[in-house]
Amino acid sequence: MTVAAGLGYVLISLGPALSLFVSVIAKKPFLILTLLASMLFWLISLIVLSGAWRGFLPLKSASWWPYVILIITSVGFQEATRLIFWKLYKKLEVILDAFAEEKFRSRLSWTDKMQIALAGGLGHGVAHAVFFCVSLLTPSFGPATFFVDRCSHMPFFLVSAIISLGFMIIHTFSMVIAFNAYAEGRKLDQIIIPIIHILAAVMTLINLAPGGCAIGVPLLYIIGGVVLCHCWQMVWRKLTERGNRQRNSSDIHVS
Amino acid sequence: MERSVLDSLGVEIIGVMSPVSICMLLVVLLVSTLSPSASDSAAAAASATTAATLVYDESPSDPPGRRLAGALLNAAAFVALIAAATTLLVVLYYYRFTGFLRNYVRFSAFFVLASMGGSILLSLLRAADFPLDAFSALVLLLNLSAVGVPAVLSPAVPVLLRQAYLVALAVIVAAWFARLPEWTTWTLLLALALYDLAAVLCPRGPLRVLVELASSRDEELPALVYESRPASASVSHVVAALGSVELQPVEPAPPNPTLSNRNVDPDRTILEIESLEEETSPLVPNEPSSSGSGDSRQQDIAAEGEREREGERNQDPSSSSSLPGPAFENDSFDTSRGIRLGLGDFVFYSVLVGRAAMYDLMTVYACYLAIISGLGCTLILLSICRHALPALPISITLGMGFYFLTRLLLEPFVVGASTSLVMF
Repeated sequence: MTVAAGLGYVLISLGPALSLFVSVIAKKPFLILTLLASMLFWLISLIVLSGAWRGFLPLKSASWWPYVILIITSVGFQEATRLIFWKLYKKLEVILDAFAEEKFRSRLSWTDKMQIALAGGLGHGVAHAVFFCVSLLTPSFGPATFFVDRCSHMPFFLVSAIISLGFMIIHTFSMVIAFNAYAEGRKLDQIIIPIIHILAAVMTLINLAPGGCAIGVPLLYIIGGVVLCHCWQMVWRKLTERGNRQRNSSDIHVS
Repeated sequence: MERSVLDSLGVEIIGVMSPVSICMLLVVLLVSTLSPSASDSAAAAASATTAATLVYDESPSDPPGRRLAGALLNAAAFVALIAAATTLLVVLYYYRFTGFLRNYVRFSAFFVLASMGGSILLSLLRAADFPLDAFSALVLLLNLSAVGVPAVLSPAVPVLLRQAYLVALAVIVAAWFARLPEWTTWTLLLALALYDLAAVLCPRGPLRVLVELASSRDEELPALVYESRPASASVSHVVAALGSVELQPVEPAPPNPTLSNRNVDPDRTILEIESLEEETSPLVPNEPSSSGSGDSRQQDIAAEGEREREGERNQDPSSSSSLPGPAFENDSFDTSRGIRLGLGDFVFYSVLVGRAAMYDLMTVYACYLAIISGLGCTLILLSICRHALPALPISITLGMGFYFLTRLLLEPFVVGASTSLVMF
């Protein structure tokens, strides 16, 4: 039951990411590199954040407002990281386009760009799951388990795996939405993404209340579902638009 | 769906990164399964005899100042040994003792697989409580090692098998090195990174001399070198991975950390592959072919590659024949030249990750990301300056930096946040 449980927790938090990786990312080397770069970016942002917060930790007070400040600064910083990631990608895209033009006589198609965005988002999501959940799972491979007081229905590892899965979904697909919004200059989506991120983070604050995880986790998944829906709508809209137009790769090129 | 640029860009980089990742993963698994047993007296005694602890045997009870001085001495002694060994091998190679070098490599591969691999196998069996009688264990081990000897050298062995054996060698040596005491490990890694930098980049650095010597002779460089060439690419590249020259004299030592790069002459039917390491993906297209190594022929080749990149379609028959079936139609993706990475780089990357694995999984992930990104940076640099580059310095520096940052800053933050189930 021990190793099986540990593997189960890992698969809960990383299973969907793994299947995305195998089915989409692993076939294309460039996407793997994007994934790694995005993971590194996320890690650096987290290290900078933790460096900034190092002096105030651990949060001893039982009150919830330090956590609110922590979450707001963190989410704000991570959204800034996303913007930097986008700016860097934008520069890279020019090189990629030139390269593709030379090699294949065509520029990057919109599906290529979507895949790059997906890889970038998956990098954020996987890094989140890895650092917040999987790296703490080592004890769960042992013979015991661990419960936190405020969420005593389930083992701590299970709750954190489920939460990190939710965040994996949110991070991955909000990156797709965000990249698309940046490329097309859609202001609404650009604003929605940070709001969703903050909302999702605030949902985890509910876990601070005794028994709050029974409410917070479903709410988190509702947000994840909204992100998925929105992403699907956006892709569907693009698909139908492209279907109406002739599939001309130079025509498709947006930006 | 039509082929896009995403399909082919970065194949070479992934071709190097995936074996490095596999190697690190195996070492982490080994270290984390064996670490309880490594604390018993036998393992401690074994670790005390390695060359890296010649001068000073670190014990956790010593004061920090003494440990630091001792660790520095250890690292200096070890690097001095490596430098002496490398110089000896360069001298041997210079006077064309190639047969001796080959046999030496065969012996050391066998030795590493049989003795060090055997001891790791033994502790694995012990950890898994797997009942295996001594006789069959011995037969198994000797057979495995015996296959390894031709696999490292002979052209008749499938590429995949050779790559597997090279990775296995690296894993074994790295698992051995991961038993070193902590401070010694860190100073050793830093010292090796510095040594690597000097040996490859200095005008008279031994590794650089070796690479240039090999290239001027049109011979394969005698070293244990991982090659990311695809398996379908002809016999030609099998000549690689000759001998683990530099480091071998240090008995428990791994092959030397080298990462060097040269162009392969496309005119040869038997492609020369003495280059340890090669990067052809033009991540930065149309860069000036700055030839760092003073070989004029190499400049010509680099210029030729440049012309090819400009879109000439008539490819040299020999280089196209060594392309794998579904290869890229464009010349700039000439996969007949793979990227080479010295096995020593594998070893020391894995040592770093293995050391990180003794602390926590979080440091492992951070170090892995840092090392891989350092490797990526090195490969990108390689595509710009097109000559032998040391693979250790960037990766090791990044890896160590991320290790301590993670340990000191990230861990309390993340653990504090996620144990109260607050995430973002």
